[in-house]
Amino acid sequence: MIGTIAKPMEEIMPYLEGKDNLMVIGCNGCAKAIHSGGEAEVNQMVAELEKRGKKVIAAGAPERTCYIQHTRAFLEPLQQELNDCGAIVVMGCGGAVQIVRQATEEKHLLKHIVSSLNSIGHFDTVVPGTEFVEQCMECGDCMLNMTGSICPVTKCAKGLLNGPCGGSQNGKCEVNPDRDCAWVLIYNRLKALGELDKMQQYQPPKDNSKITRPRRAVYNEKTGTALA
Amino acid sequence: MKLSSLFAQGKFVVTSEVGPPKGTDVSGMLAEAEHLKGVVDAVNVTDNQSAVMRLGSLTASHLLKQKGFEPVFQLTCRDRNRLALQSDLLSAAVLGIENVLCLTGDHVHAGDHPQAKPVYDFDSVQLLRTARELCNGFDAAGNQLDGKPDFCLGAVVNPGADPLEPQLIKLEKKIKAGAQFIQTQAVFDPAVFEKFIKQASSFGVPVVAGIVLLKSAGMGRYMNENVSGVNVPDSLLREMADLPAEKRKEKSAAIAVKLIKELKQMCAGVHIMPLGWTDLVPGIVSAAV
Repeated sequence: MIGTIAKPMEEIMPYLEGKDNLMVIGCNGCAKAIHSGGEAEVNQMVAELEKRGKKVIAAGAPERTCYIQHTRAFLEPLQQELNDCGAIVVMGCGGAVQIVRQATEEKHLLKHIVSSLNSIGHFDTVVPGTEFVEQCMECGDCMLNMTGSICPVTKCAKGLLNGPCGGSQNGKCEVNPDRDCAWVLIYNRLKALGELDKMQQYQPPKDNSKITRPRRAVYNEKTGTALA
Repeated sequence: MKLSSLFAQGKFVVTSEVGPPKGTDVSGMLAEAEHLKGVVDAVNVTDNQSAVMRLGSLTASHLLKQKGFEPVFQLTCRDRNRLALQSDLLSAAVLGIENVLCLTGDHVHAGDHPQAKPVYDFDSVQLLRTARELCNGFDAAGNQLDGKPDFCLGAVVNPGADPLEPQLIKLEKKIKAGAQFIQTQAVFDPAVFEKFIKQASSFGVPVVAGIVLLKSAGMGRYMNENVSGVNVPDSLLREMADLPAEKRKEKSAAIAVKLIKELKQMCAGVHIMPLGWTDLVPGIVSAAV
């Protein structure tokens, strides 16, 4: 899922200055899972905006706001509110914000869209409802088969590909001693698997052309695959 | 002169280092370097050391070269992508710099611009391999160069790291990638170095032991807590703590001399990091080497 965290209200409010009759759109996908933009947080946001003197004329959370069809379906019965609203506060990832923008543009509406969350990474849920960690940064050139299914690109603070830096100590990272050194984790696992030869192999630099942004995938019916 | 030539001659190589200034006034750096003239074989020039922004190591290396020193240009992967790394290596060659120490680089988190984007487009192994390729006449993309550098390439290792084996695996990769000598993190305990060198000597590359001048017990305790792989023994901490401030410099030099004498048989040279007490280096070298 995409990890998100609330921006302070002090950062959001200036973007809403002079705008009223607001709409608040959360996301019942990732943002719900990480407690930043599901129904519950949307309701809190509505109350907060009303406390600050704003009128909210519609609010809710599509199933997954980053899927255009869910957002279209959510907005379908809200045509009047869409026309009337002064701004739309989106409580989803940066993708959700832009899908909401697209959905309004499809309706030939030019609306102020205000993002209320910061997107902080591709997160995996390791303790349901409680703990989420970044383990993959979508480098486009996966090397997990060489590293015992532990990603050094993401889990090493320096993204090193050929082993630990000199700052690794007692299995911890120089950047944050509470964090494990990814390369010691990799070493321990490859050793247990009897595959230390994989760590001994030279890993060439990443092909960063594979992450030239923005990336795009288009499903091809003939081949049955979504090609990037 | 390339350090590799000195190692080949069987010389016990002594290097030290200077840190470029934060600003454009190089007089202090050059004055510090003067203490090292005729004393050491080469002077390392640190590259935004500890991720603190300073005058560039390439420019400072060039200035030292002009003043008759043999610089070791330190180059980290933290601040440059592969274009900049290779471009700086070519620039160094054109400026007559012959020795390059290739490092990963401390994370920006530790420095004075923690908001900076850390680059690490290459790691130190990839940097070494690329530097060697440049010396062979090709860039990292396989393009042929018009004129090529001829460097002696160095790499670093942390002999006190725990666990040590992952560091040794990486060290071997660095040597295969082109490292011709190895410089270590600060050593205070010869037993730690001995344990390391027993495993690393089979790599067949000269190892230069890192010697940091211990300036106070507080500094020692700080390093023990914050610098990976550094272990200043309690006995040294006590020796320093019991001394009045004016006696510490003398003691610091004596500790370094004793350490170098103990390490001498196990290594091909020493790299003395004086951390401002550069005036002590001539005395240490004449007493220990």
